[in-house]
Amino acid sequence: MDLKNINPFIDAVTEILPQFGFQSLVQKGFSEKSKKIIASGVVITLGIVGDKKGNVVYCINQEGAKQIASIMMMGMPVDELDDMAQSALSELSNMLTANACINFSKEAVNVDISVPTLLFGENIELNLNKEEISCVEFDVDGIKLEIYVALV
Amino acid sequence: MKNLRVMIVDDSTFSIAVLRKMLEKVGLEVVATALNMNDAIEKAKEIKPDLITMDMTLPDGNGIECSREILKQLKESKIIAISSMMDEEIIEKAKNAGIKAYLQKPVDADGLKAAIEKLFAGEELYQILQDNYEEAFKESVFTFLKNEIGGEVELENYQLKYKGVRKSSGVSVAVGMIGRHRGRLIIDMSGDTALNMVKKILQDESQTLEEAIQFLSEFANVIAGNACSLLNGLNRSFGLRVSPPTVIIGEDITISIGDMDSKSFMIKTDLGESFMNIGVQKGDESWI
Repeated sequence: MDLKNINPFIDAVTEILPQFGFQSLVQKGFSEKSKKIIASGVVITLGIVGDKKGNVVYCINQEGAKQIASIMMMGMPVDELDDMAQSALSELSNMLTANACINFSKEAVNVDISVPTLLFGENIELNLNKEEISCVEFDVDGIKLEIYVALV
Repeated sequence: MKNLRVMIVDDSTFSIAVLRKMLEKVGLEVVATALNMNDAIEKAKEIKPDLITMDMTLPDGNGIECSREILKQLKESKIIAISSMMDEEIIEKAKNAGIKAYLQKPVDADGLKAAIEKLFAGEELYQILQDNYEEAFKESVFTFLKNEIGGEVELENYQLKYKGVRKSSGVSVAVGMIGRHRGRLIIDMSGDTALNMVKKILQDESQTLEEAIQFLSEFANVIAGNACSLLNGLNRSFGLRVSPPTVIIGEDITISIGDMDSKSFMIKTDLGESFMNIGVQKGDESWI
């Protein structure tokens, strides 16, 4: 599996998340998927253009998304995934992807990102139109965070 | 550049006089001047200038501190540092304080004008984008559907029922737009509508949902691509490009439109309805 496309995102997660006060960050395995992704909970997708082109998708289950939003909002309780919580999660995806872009630029790969699109629900099927999608999973304070990268 | 209101902060009345002359020559209005930090902070709060030229040495503080205080209150104002001293350390400090550009004294009129133009070009460009994106997308959708499926094609403004969210009708596609400013297109329709459209376009009744999804992905890609070309044609500085589409399929999905500047439409055709949302967002300014 080609790690060149996913490493900048792994570095972004390990750099950004502790800044918000997440305590434990464990990188689980890599996997490869083809085309279809099925997820439940919150899905955030961002477009990427430049020397490489494609998409990145962040998936977190509903409960985990609320916890992450709460921590980002300095511990404010989040019972519902309201506007504020959605905005916090979008902003996190923005920061992670922007940081990954900086990491790419260190390897002389220049890319730019679009605004995030956030959606939530059950059994969300995502079609990224790429044969190869790299996936990395993190355990963030017990919350599962999956990142799918489809870049060529 | 027109109608910009400027404040000059400098501890030298001579420098203020020189800068005032340069700024007024390029048609800007100097609305205030200040010789020290306290005066600058007070006047900035009261007058809210669009642009501030900031000296780095002030009798009761420095330009970095002064800029920081002013920007706490005035998020929209832009500050250009103008100082006789300039080295990497102070430039770094200026950037961190939120100052947008750094010029060394003596400043020449052309250099100052160029820096201001560059600083405000993004604002004007964003205004042009805001004024034109709706038409560009409407034209793009209308042309595509008229040519490909024919019949009646109508675009109606649509008000989201719940603030900022849309319950998906079954199949949605998101396409990002990336350039000097950024944006995103969302198209959402039922599987049946997508299927009707692909059957009509290909004149083939045996098309499946899988193929309809491929069609929707390409449909959104063409709409966004053509609209971005129209916008880039208005001003090349937009440099808009589209990212590959992401297709989202499911029975129970809510799409968050987010708090960006966006417009929603219902596209009505003989083959069914589609929801469309286009949003734009101001890009970051880079250091000058």
